[in-house]
Amino acid sequence: MSDYDAIVVGAGNAGSAAAITMASKGLSVLLVDRSDPPGTKNLSGGVLWGNDLAKILPKWQSEAPLERFIQDKKIGFLTEKSSIIIDFKTKVFEENKVGHTVLRSKFDPWLAKKAKEAGATVIPGITVESLVKKDGKIIGVEESGDAVTSNVVILAEGINPRLAIEAGLRPPLQDWEVSVGVKEIIKLSPQKIEDRFNLSSTSGLASEYILGNLGELNAGAFFYTNKDSISLGIVAPMERLRENGVTHTYDIIEQFKEHPSIAPLIDGGTVAEYGAHMIPEGGLEMVPQLFGDGYMIVGDSAGFGFSNGLVLQGMNYAFLSGIFAGEAAVEAKSRNDFSSSSLSTYKRKLDNSYVLKDLRTFKDLRKVTNNKSMYTTYPKMLESILLEMLWERGQPKKKVREILGSCAADLNVGKLKTATDFYYMYRRM
Amino acid sequence: MLKIAVMIKQVPDSQDISIDPVTKTLNRSMARNVVNPPDVNATEAAIQLKDKYGGEITVITMGPPMADTALLQLMGMGADNGVLVTDRVFAGADTWPTGFTLASVADFLGGFDVIFCGEETTDSSTGHVGPGIAEFLGYEQATYVHKVEYENGFLIVVRDIEGAEETIKIGTPAVLTITLNANEPRNPTLKRKIDAYKKGIRLVTNKELRLDPACIGLKGSPTIVKDMKTVPDPIKNPSKPTIEELDKVVSVLIEKGVVK
Repeated sequence: MSDYDAIVVGAGNAGSAAAITMASKGLSVLLVDRSDPPGTKNLSGGVLWGNDLAKILPKWQSEAPLERFIQDKKIGFLTEKSSIIIDFKTKVFEENKVGHTVLRSKFDPWLAKKAKEAGATVIPGITVESLVKKDGKIIGVEESGDAVTSNVVILAEGINPRLAIEAGLRPPLQDWEVSVGVKEIIKLSPQKIEDRFNLSSTSGLASEYILGNLGELNAGAFFYTNKDSISLGIVAPMERLRENGVTHTYDIIEQFKEHPSIAPLIDGGTVAEYGAHMIPEGGLEMVPQLFGDGYMIVGDSAGFGFSNGLVLQGMNYAFLSGIFAGEAAVEAKSRNDFSSSSLSTYKRKLDNSYVLKDLRTFKDLRKVTNNKSMYTTYPKMLESILLEMLWERGQPKKKVREILGSCAADLNVGKLKTATDFYYMYRRM
Repeated sequence: MLKIAVMIKQVPDSQDISIDPVTKTLNRSMARNVVNPPDVNATEAAIQLKDKYGGEITVITMGPPMADTALLQLMGMGADNGVLVTDRVFAGADTWPTGFTLASVADFLGGFDVIFCGEETTDSSTGHVGPGIAEFLGYEQATYVHKVEYENGFLIVVRDIEGAEETIKIGTPAVLTITLNANEPRNPTLKRKIDAYKKGIRLVTNKELRLDPACIGLKGSPTIVKDMKTVPDPIKNPSKPTIEELDKVVSVLIEKGVVK
């Protein structure tokens, strides 16, 4: 007889969503997290997209500690001296509340509290040391020499799943699978935020940039408004950082903060917090075997996330995978069968949802986001074109075709290379 | 078998606290709550005493309902019971009614052989409450203790006295306040935390204690904060000495024989 129906390791979005799903259906659930209060060591860029949580918490939008709903989404390129931005501000976002900025150090303890209210035993401040295996099955977790057993263990350990790796359930992380995110929270009064970004007391801004001023690092950046602070940071693939010998990622975030179009936005603010975290960006190729006898892997641990340089999502994938794993455990309990074949319903649910569909649809996306020209050449090319068209220098005007040609020549880009890059971008994005 | 209590407090993590330059009050909004650090040492001392001589440990705190997490953490280390004294009428207490209320709780729970406290709290640093409890209960007391032994109904304790140690023998029942870093507290374990969670926390309100409202909470507090000033950090605003002044400093140091 096991101590619990399910043990969930990690109180992030995926783990707590799984715990709520199972506990609210009457399963005995233990949710363990290394930090106290639970979830306070978790970190995200800071925008939670979608409404997946409504499946288990219908009123989450009015109850959760959310910062601002996204009304204004900007995407664009930064070069050394310029910014080229698409500013999409829409009433549709306001009417549908499609995304919200969150601070995970507030949001995650709230979600773990919901798991406790649903009936789960939530134990914070404990780092599980290993998984307990018997006859090839995962039957529990171990800490300080004590084993606590369960029918199923749900691994929601986050991006670097130590338990899963040590138990041989997935290989150690490789450079190509992850990006490094470095983030700062900058305190700024609500008044300043609302004046500076033309926002109401509840609406917010989410900007994402391709950084054309950092060479071949293939770095992106984000800039989000919270109630009384700004979340900003940079994201760069581990492979590129290593190749370019970058050991101090805070140098890059400083360059972003000092950019002529960013510096005035944070003027007068003070850095309240900073942090760094890995982000799953390996796509479908990094997704491990998701289930087996007595276990399932969810959220970041499973490599669930989406990033194409302009859209960064992970929390919604975490919720949905956690909910599906929870449902699979509930069904397994009703059959009293926690074998690999019984838990395979988890994978089927993922197959039929956007989680694995997105990863399949965009399986070649890395070839686009890995393309160095996206970061080095094209932002500069755009800048040159705009300068050529908009800067009156007393010269005869040129047709767009001529401008394109001369800019490409200046930057030493072959027409064929550009054509194939855009063709693949078109095919893969 | 010794009946042991540990009186603890949940405090904002001092690393996360800043002073609001305008209101001059502590800004705790960014701070997470932790167990007052010397109280963890006090709990460890209590567990060591129990391990050696047998006994039952009850951790007690007065605070808001959310302070239960502090008790669960210490029960995870090895304390047997948790008692949360929580009632609006206790709010706003300074050290006098706090000592009085906690002493009353100890009495309400049948009294103890040894009551452990931390030497002081990181959020007010008075060191009043432990001795206060001892006085209200009429117990023996020893403050700033870092070593505890028990022998035939007596406690042999070693006190820190500014650059020296004092070993004294006192009778029981007694209150001991334990210094920060007196020992190396063990970590809570998963198994013990689960057991604590199952056992639960006992809540005590003033309905059970029936203390005179004039002696508790804000009403029972004789302290009045008249003013609060922030003092600029002297290290951050050094007046730069000139080269000539530096020479003067060096010559004084040579004169005094500090440098040769």
